[in-house]
Amino acid sequence: MAMVNRPTFLPWLPPMGRKTLFALAVALICFAFAFPVLWLILTSLRPESGVYYVHRGTEFTLGSFAEVLSDERIVTAFLNSALISTLATVFSLVVTVSSGYMLSRFTGPASRLWFGTIYVFRCVPYISWVLPLYFVTQSWGLYDTYTGLLLPHVAVHICFFSWLMKGFFDGIDPSMEYAAMIDGCTRWGAFIRVAVPSALPAISALAVLCWLFTWNEFLFALILTGNRVPVITVVMAQFVTEMGLRWNLMAATAVMALVPAFLVALFGQKYVIRGLRI
Amino acid sequence: MFGEQQRFVLLLIAPAALLMLLFQVVPIVIGANASFRNWALYNPKKTWIGFDHYVAVITDPAFLYVVLPNTFLFMVLSVAGALVVGLALALLLNRPFRGQKLVQTILLVPLMVAPVIAAIMIRWIFNDQFGIVNVVLEAIGLEGQPWLVQRWSAFGVILLTDIWLWTPWFTLLLLAGLQSLPKEPFEAAAIDGTSTWRVFRFLTLPMLRPVIVVCVVIRAIDAFRTFDIVWTLTGGGPGRSTELFSLYAYVHAFLNLDLGRGSAAAIIGGLIILVIGVVLYRLVDRIAKA
Repeated sequence: MAMVNRPTFLPWLPPMGRKTLFALAVALICFAFAFPVLWLILTSLRPESGVYYVHRGTEFTLGSFAEVLSDERIVTAFLNSALISTLATVFSLVVTVSSGYMLSRFTGPASRLWFGTIYVFRCVPYISWVLPLYFVTQSWGLYDTYTGLLLPHVAVHICFFSWLMKGFFDGIDPSMEYAAMIDGCTRWGAFIRVAVPSALPAISALAVLCWLFTWNEFLFALILTGNRVPVITVVMAQFVTEMGLRWNLMAATAVMALVPAFLVALFGQKYVIRGLRI
Repeated sequence: MFGEQQRFVLLLIAPAALLMLLFQVVPIVIGANASFRNWALYNPKKTWIGFDHYVAVITDPAFLYVVLPNTFLFMVLSVAGALVVGLALALLLNRPFRGQKLVQTILLVPLMVAPVIAAIMIRWIFNDQFGIVNVVLEAIGLEGQPWLVQRWSAFGVILLTDIWLWTPWFTLLLLAGLQSLPKEPFEAAAIDGTSTWRVFRFLTLPMLRPVIVVCVVIRAIDAFRTFDIVWTLTGGGPGRSTELFSLYAYVHAFLNLDLGRGSAAAIIGGLIILVIGVVLYRLVDRIAKA
């Protein structure tokens, strides 16, 4: 576009100066965004004696990571978080893809009613249903179990993801599905064999988001689990009070909790950006 | 009983509806029931007490003068902050420059960070004795602050953390919106020599309005129920001065072990945000149709 090349910002600056200023501003913004994470990584690499003066000294060690990894509770928490995030992603996708498909392909009272329900429940604050869910899971014997944490996670994703999924399916021309049905495909066949494959980029984007949301979630796990199913976010929050002064260990745990999320996001970034372009 | 099409429609939403019934509707009903009873651990009979808990919550000065203003202030400032920064960054990323992909990846970093981890990082950075913020302040001759034990600085730090966490979300959705805008009006404006500011004010902003409104609605509703970062950063303190609505309900239910009062607070908050949600939805609808 011509507009981009014509200087309208600080026109009195020579082109070189403007370019340098722009690069500096971008670098500064990037630094501001990355700083907390960089600082955390730096802290996790300092030995216990140097952790209070992260900005001084040049000793670095991986000792904190080794110490954290020898703590059985933390390792269990990591495994639990990974397991629950993965299962929640699989179940959520099955449930929300079909619900979003329904919202997109059918109009009429049933569809409007379902959309209204989803919107209303999207607004309900988590605390309003997770707090009493504590009694419910206890009376159903689900408190502090995998199922008791997994199913509420799947339930909470229904509203937002059905809504996003509806948008994705709206952008896909249904004529392919009609053609498949004329050729003798059932409705289910048209949905599973035609609509789902063409929505695959969007579904991958949702899978990435769903995994990240579940991995990062805190309130559900805090209320719905006790000691038998520790997950990483709750264990870390307990750290703050229990090991308040051992910042190197806390930073090491936090860095390890960031790694899987980063990997998922790094490989999924292109799907998310492509998938969200409705 | 049903035609083939109705059966298909119902089966498509059946799993979702069943899960929502079991894990959202049932708890809300049970929570509503608990909010009318003396549901404390020492009272096994769970006596019916009517609206007592509701009256107790809405006449509680802490709720009325601290929690509610905090929640609304937090909601407005957090959404406004993340929107302004997110929009600026989306505009930046929408123009091609060398290293654009790398910058985009860096700017999306906070999206991957769990709120709890973000809160721990920020707590460490703003630590009053060893935090880097105070170290830098003292190095340039200013006085370090006990950031997290003063009301407004603690509130500011919480707000900053939230804006840092959620800006990428706005950037991502607004960038997707910007890239789907038609090119012709911008080319016409460039030929006419319109200034960058006027292009932004009279072309980009109006055309982007539907996307902005949707982002704002989603974020506002989520900001209202913020829990993780406040819990980890200050736990509602100093005193109870940074408590938000979710924390108030949690503290009453699980720390004071008064599940009835906690449920009542959760329902009051739920009703408030439901009203806001419906009003905002109408707004979106009007803007989308206009």
